[in-house]
Amino acid sequence: MPHSYGTRARTRHMFAKKFRQHGPVNLSQYLMNVKVGDYVDIFANPSIHKGMPHKGYHGRTGIVFNVTKSAVGVRVNKLVNGRIIEKRIHVRIEHVRASKCQKEILQRKKDNEAAKDEARKTGVKVNLKRTPKLPKAGYFLAAPGGDGAEITTIQPLPFSDLV
Amino acid sequence: GALSVTMPFVKVQKNRAYFSRYQVKYRRRREGKTDYRQRKRLCAQDKNKYQSPKYRLVVRFTNKQVICQIAYALVDGDRILAQATSKELPRYGLKVGLKNYAAAYCTGLLVARRVLQKLGLDDVYEGNTEVDGEVVSTEYDKKMYFVEEVDDDKRPFRCFLDVGCKATTTGNRIFGALKGAADGGIDVPHSEKRFPGYDRDAKEYDADMHRERIFGGHVGEYMEYLDEEDNQKYQEHFASYIAADVAPDSLEELYESVHEAIREDPKPSEKSQFSPDKSFKRKAKITLDERKARVQAKKDAKNAELEAEDDE
Repeated sequence: MPHSYGTRARTRHMFAKKFRQHGPVNLSQYLMNVKVGDYVDIFANPSIHKGMPHKGYHGRTGIVFNVTKSAVGVRVNKLVNGRIIEKRIHVRIEHVRASKCQKEILQRKKDNEAAKDEARKTGVKVNLKRTPKLPKAGYFLAAPGGDGAEITTIQPLPFSDLV
Repeated sequence: GALSVTMPFVKVQKNRAYFSRYQVKYRRRREGKTDYRQRKRLCAQDKNKYQSPKYRLVVRFTNKQVICQIAYALVDGDRILAQATSKELPRYGLKVGLKNYAAAYCTGLLVARRVLQKLGLDDVYEGNTEVDGEVVSTEYDKKMYFVEEVDDDKRPFRCFLDVGCKATTTGNRIFGALKGAADGGIDVPHSEKRFPGYDRDAKEYDADMHRERIFGGHVGEYMEYLDEEDNQKYQEHFASYIAADVAPDSLEELYESVHEAIREDPKPSEKSQFSPDKSFKRKAKITLDERKARVQAKKDAKNAELEAEDDE
């Protein structure tokens, strides 16, 4: 049980800038396109002190519910006392990144729509389901001593023979 | 040892550790060309204005010309809406003094008219046809616009002055370009505080003094002064003016005609076809040995020279 509970307690490493990445924020961060409903990662930028999220939200992903002049309101899920509460925090855009968590889903949606269109046109049935990683297919192993060499098979002796 | 006895032990500052830990500043900061603090405040748009561009009037001076651009920032680079350089002014009748205050004014005027024509606003917003050096602003809908009249349908084109790495002193040529653009009809928020003719102690603005400067009055005065005092210097200094038949008292007319010509046809000139010289081949880089031989040859030549001098 620590003796201090200040807002930035225990953030020595979390709120440290990475090696050789100190200094000003890139302008592209400010030109980021954020709309209500976008998924967004909260990633605190320790060089910008205003509008910094609390350390508990660092690394969380949420949905934007509000856009103001230089900040963004994000709905984040927080685990409190065994239940999950939806919290709404406002955070400056320097501490926010466009999340790629939906990227694959949205891409697949697009691809599936295209595949469905194709299927409707050509009449060829299309399987849109994803398959999980299946076990490796069988294969032939090259014999260690060359092609015609004798392969010795060894197996353990049954216990009765040893006694 | 080899070290001189008088030199104390000095730790090598730029050792391997230094270089491997060194973080370079942004490239354009290293080149001294961009002030990123200023850039962030100029280019970044309010998030609740989403992707609407924030235009800025970029004014830069080189040794030979004035460059004015209307630019806006995108993630993969800035885009330029319109550009004008004072090298284009000969097309409108101004062949000399392409980097003075009056030329900056003309270039600002040119870029403003060009942008407005491109956007179809040039009839709606004509700006100041009578140049008097005054700052114009109107209130419309509880907001300040720096044009004479605000049209009901089409709001004026708003731009912010981008000064770059220059010092914003009173009377700077940058503000000449600003005035030219403002008189051209674009809405650039500004005040008269940095125009020539502003008295800091009395907090008064003398629009006439500014007007004189816009029409090259200060140049004309100097020409007359030199002509009387030191004619030879006058011939040297203003050689191009004399060659172009520009007399000190004809400067105002000249600039007025240039302004008119600009308003008439601000369209950029046609792009000339560029056909590269196919036979051009880059010279191969010289090797280290060749480089050393060159240095040695220069040293030998210099030594021979000095010896010859000694003999004399």
